[in-house]
Amino acid sequence: MDSNEIYTTALNNALDEMRKVCPDIQHAFIYNENGELIAGDAETPQKVTTRIIDVFDDILERAEAIGGVEAITINGDMGTVKLYHFNEHYLVAVYSAKAEVGYVDTIVRVLVPTVLKVLEKLSPTPLKNVAEPKPEPLGLEKPQEGELTEKPVEKLPAESKPEAEPFLASEKLQEPPSPLEVPAVQLIVENIGGLLVPSDTVRVDSETLSSWENAFEGKKIEYVEIETFNGKTARYKVKPIKDSKYTGKGVVQIPEKVQLALEIKKGELVKVKPVIE
Amino acid sequence: MTKKKKDAEETVAEPMALEEAAIPSAPTTTDKLKASLEELKGYEGVIGYILRNSTSAAIDLKDPSKLIEYAILSSSALEAGEELSETFNLGLVKSILVEGKEVKVLSFTVGENKVSIFMEKNTDPEKVLKKLGQF
Repeated sequence: MDSNEIYTTALNNALDEMRKVCPDIQHAFIYNENGELIAGDAETPQKVTTRIIDVFDDILERAEAIGGVEAITINGDMGTVKLYHFNEHYLVAVYSAKAEVGYVDTIVRVLVPTVLKVLEKLSPTPLKNVAEPKPEPLGLEKPQEGELTEKPVEKLPAESKPEAEPFLASEKLQEPPSPLEVPAVQLIVENIGGLLVPSDTVRVDSETLSSWENAFEGKKIEYVEIETFNGKTARYKVKPIKDSKYTGKGVVQIPEKVQLALEIKKGELVKVKPVIE
Repeated sequence: MTKKKKDAEETVAEPMALEEAAIPSAPTTTDKLKASLEELKGYEGVIGYILRNSTSAAIDLKDPSKLIEYAILSSSALEAGEELSETFNLGLVKSILVEGKEVKVLSFTVGENKVSIFMEKNTDPEKVLKKLGQF
């Protein structure tokens, strides 16, 4: 897999995972400042994406007077189109009227810049020239039709199921893991309900726990380290999530006391990694 | 005595006559909208507005040097809203928010009136929309 493919695959994966976590996102794609499509869902035809990029471009060109655009939201009574600006990239997301706007916003604003940052660190050039070898401005669109549905899942070096670890793919690109080194997964903070909630225990999807245990040759994972995006780190006991509605959703259930201590709240992303003693 | 009475009659009669002459036709949506926008302009963070329809335009900006740029941006945003709504079947466009690094622009349509409100970056556009909720 060459570096362009890695970029496209990683960003497509990020978009796929975003849509899994927020099923109300109907379309999503990413393009760069040259108007070149970098990643996107297969359902949006190239003609449509080209037109949308043109439409937004009209606003972006005229937005110097307001200091350049950070985001554009078109709010209709049946849905919303939102453009997010991340450095040299734009993400367009279309979601239905019933979508939880704040939640979608959090996911997009945390996940996409993180993946872009990781990719930029890996190699700053390919992302910018992603469409260069192609004759058309949106040359990546055609191969994507085949790739979008298969490549992200098949070609990433994932030891565990991506369904259980929605944000694992991008992390794995950062540092190829050694056999005994399991990288942190990024999970969304969720509250733990109930009266007698132990304040020293967090809950992670049982599939994620199993994959860690497999990676550590069957050793039981009793502790995890949680790292917030503010750089706070703490170690907690870990148990599998009981509530089936959170299975495979990429969440970590954290008691409210711990959330307060780590200065995080429901809906935010944290890095979680197993601790073997 | 007679003269005093006459004076009193005159002072009462005069304002009535003036009022009759000054009463305009009932205020239109555009008039009401303009009045609300004028009030909004006094809100913290709001830096101006553009209100236009097929026959007239009202522009009030704290920094008139950016008038043309703001007017073009406002027009582009409203056009983009219409086009993207059609493409993605968004239904009736309620609002278009362009968040700039320095200024936010909230645009929407009320009947034939196209409105854009310019505000500082940290202003909550929801509050502005609520104020105009009657439209």
